[in-house]
Formats: sequence, C-alpha cells, structure tokens
Amino acid sequence: MVDIAKQSSGRTSARDIAVWDPLIRLIHWTLALTILLNGAFIEAESEMHEWIGYIALSLVGVRLIWGLIGPKHARFAAFPPSPARVSRHIKAMLRGDQTIHLSHNPLGALMTYNIWLTVIAIGVTGYMMTTLTFFGIDWVEEAHETIFGWLLFSIALHIAGVAFDTWRSGVNLVRAMVSGRKNIPQGREVE
Amino acid sequence: MKLTFWSTKTKERRATVLAGLILLQGLCALFFIGDVVEDFRLDGHLDDPHLLLESVAAVALVGGVAFLMLELRGLLSRMSDMQTGLDIASGHLAEVIETFFDEWKLTAAERDVAIMILKGLDNDTIAQMRKTAAGTVRAQATSVYAKSATDGRAQFISLFMEELMAGKMGPVDAEVAHATGQNDDSLPPGHPHSSKS
Ligand code: HEM
Ligand code: HEM
Repeated sequence: MVDIAKQSSGRTSARDIAVWDPLIRLIHWTLALTILLNGAFIEAESEMHEWIGYIALSLVGVRLIWGLIGPKHARFAAFPPSPARVSRHIKAMLRGDQTIHLSHNPLGALMTYNIWLTVIAIGVTGYMMTTLTFFGIDWVEEAHETIFGWLLFSIALHIAGVAFDTWRSGVNLVRAMVSGRKNIPQGREVE
Repeated sequence: MKLTFWSTKTKERRATVLAGLILLQGLCALFFIGDVVEDFRLDGHLDDPHLLLESVAAVALVGGVAFLMLELRGLLSRMSDMQTGLDIASGHLAEVIETFFDEWKLTAAERDVAIMILKGLDNDTIAQMRKTAAGTVRAQATSVYAKSATDGRAQFISLFMEELMAGKMGPVDAEVAHATGQNDDSLPPGHPHSSKS
C-alpha cells in the first residue's frame, strides 16, 4: 500500500501492449482461410480455386506494402531476416533469457518471410498453368504441388513454433494475433 | 489544441473498419490490374478507351489503398500516443502523491489511510480493511488533513485533482509552479508551506 509509485508502475509493467494492428490480423486470418480452402476444399481445376489463389496473393501483396509504410511492429525493420539475430536469439533462449519480442522473434521472422515467399511462388506457378506458354507443361504443375507441400510443412512448423514460444515466454501469441495485444508478464524485458 | 473525445473503443472500431476497407480495395485494385494485364496480353495495345478506363480505375484504386493505409497508420499512432499519455499521467500522479506524502512527513499508517481516502473509501471501510477501530482511522485522517493543511476529505482530494488537471505532465518543478501562479518557490502547488502561507 505504501509504495504507490512502484505499485502503479508495476501495473504498467504487467501490461497489455498493442502489437498487431487490425490490418495485420485481418490479413493473417484471411490468408489462413484462403489456404485452407484452396488446399482442402475447393476443386483444384475450378475457377474458384484460381480466384481464391489470387486473393491469397494480393493479401500477401498488401501485407508487403504495409511492411514498408505500416506502424512500428508491422515493419520489416522490426523483424529483419537475419541469421545473426537468429543465432543470438537461440543462444539467449538456451541461457534462459526471457526477453520478449514485441514484433516477431527472429525465428518467427524467418518463418514469416518463408511463408510469404512460398505463397507467392504457389500463386505464380498457378498463374503460369493458365497461360498458353506453360499450359500442360508438367514441371509447372509439379512445382505448384511441391511448393504447396512445402507450405504445409512450413505451416505445421509455424504452429508448433507459436505453441513453443507461447510456452517458453508465457505470452499467449494466438491471443495476440486475435486481439492485437500481447500480455507482458510483470517485470519482463521487452525488445 | 483541438480536443476530440473519441473513446478508445470507437477508435479501435474505426481502425478495424479502415483495415477491412484497405483489404477490400486492395482486392479490387488487384482485380483491375489483372484485367488490364489480361486485356493487354490479348490485343496488345493500350489506346482502346475501355482499357484506358480500366487503367485509370486501377491507378485510382491503388492510390486509394495507399491513402487509406497512411490514414490507418495515423490513427494507430494517435491511439498509441494517447496510451503513452495516460501511462505518463498515471505514473506521474503516483510520483506527485509520493512527493507530497514525503513533504508532509506522513507516517506509514497515515500514508495507507491517505491512499484509501484518495481511492474514495470512507472511514468505516478503511477501519475494516486495516482491522483497526474507526476512532483510530478518524484520528489518522485528521492528522493527514492537518499535515496537508486541508480542511477535510474534499479539499484533500482536490489537491491531487488540480495536479491532474494542470494538463502539463512534466516533472513537478518551478516551471509548473510559475505557470499556475500559485507560488514562487519550487515547492509543488498545494504544499503547506507554499499555497497556504
Ligand atoms: C494457413 C495457415 C497459416 C498461415 C499461412 C500463416 C501465416 C502467418 C504469417 C505470414 C505470419 C506473420 C504475420 C505478419 O507479420 O503479417 C503469421 C503469424 C502468426 N500466426 Fe500464422 N499462419 C497460419 C495459421 C496460423 C494458425 C492456425 C495459428 C494459430 C494457432 C497461427 C498463429 C499465428 C501467430 C500467433 C502469429 C504471430 C507470431 C508472432 O507473435 O511472432 N497461424 N502467420
Ligand atoms: C495460396 C494459393 C494456392 C494454393 C494453396 C493452391 C493449392 C493447390 C493444390 C494443393 C493443388 C493440387 C490439387 C490436386 O492436384 O488435387 C492445386 C492445383 C491447381 N492450382 Fe492451385 N493453389 C493456389 C493458387 C493457385 C492459383 C493462383 C492458380 C491459378 C491462377 C492455381 C491453379 C491451379 C491449377 C490450374 C491446378 C490444377 C493442376 C492440375 O491438377 O491440373 N492455384 N493448387
């Protein structure tokens, strides 16, 4: 009771910080939905499949622009793809360092770029199948499906990574991707 | 300064609507771009009015998306400024309260009682929470009012309200004191040796 200054700054330090803006969240869950639909439910040779694929492509496109001009945590600068950062992050984890990343952690950042590139590659090979030049050419179709396999593997790893980091850091990442806010436990460093 | 009192909820709703519009318009933009590219591929020249119109539409849509994105970024940054402002305000008020209590040389028990008074508890509730007699609390409260040179609960609370309403949330220093014109030394306004002397 006596130490009110500490008490109220304690309240600001066990705190909710807004990290994912609504555009990021909307893009994330629509992208997941389009991939679920195209991968599992929609007839592959249908026009619907192509439309949904293009929607996925433009979701990534909008996200990439947002990565250039968006708010702080959305920008590429907040999660650069950097092997050096990844190795520092892994060492820090092994040391038991519990610093919390407000944007993606360095491993999550790599996965994020990987998923974007993969979706773009699937979209491009999909488009190629519809052009006369590549129509009926086997390797394009095979590429489309192989890259989709890579995407499935990536997504599985992605979800495992989210579960692991939620367990490790004590910050519920899925909740953050839904509500936009990370709940930072009291007295934890953030970066 | 222009003050617009939009609640945080309203702002969050606006941000979500903006994000939805950006997505929809982005998809429309892509549709038109795709259509232009496709038409161009089919007949190979850009001067046909239909194609021209579609190109203009595509450019306008892309421009619109960029504009909405900047708008959303502005809104988000205003929301986060406001949050920082609130944090500073509450952190700062806590500091001010501590400073005042130190200056008044309140005892530990008196500090507890004073905080509970600030939180709006009446003497009986305070007595229950501190597991002491109501009389003890009354005596402690009286002592708090005496040390802070206020004549009772209302005036005591208003000391701190004044601090909040002062608007400028910098450190309590001579500058604030001068600006509010309450005293000419560096003590916080409302201090027994400044405003009351
Ligand atoms: C098809 C399925 C999915 C795809 C393609 C996908 C893709 C992505 C991408 C690209 C990001 C980066 C977001 C950005 O910066 O814009 C991301 C982040 C995230 N995703 Fe997914 N995701 C999928 C499914 C899921 C699922 C099912 C969950 C929940 C269990 C999930 C939870 C998250 C979380 C929590 C983050 C934020 C990670 C962090 O805090 O660093 N994702 N996802
Ligand atoms: C995120 C986007 C996409 C995903 C996840 C996806 C996924 C798939 C998968 C899993 C298949 C194989 C289905 C099967 O053989 O049973 C497939 C086939 C196909 N995809 Fe996509 N696709 C996407 C985007 C596109 C796009 C943008 C286009 C074209 C505009 C496209 C055109 C096709 C075509 C034509 C086939 C049929 C190949 C064949 O079997 O002849 N896809 N897609």
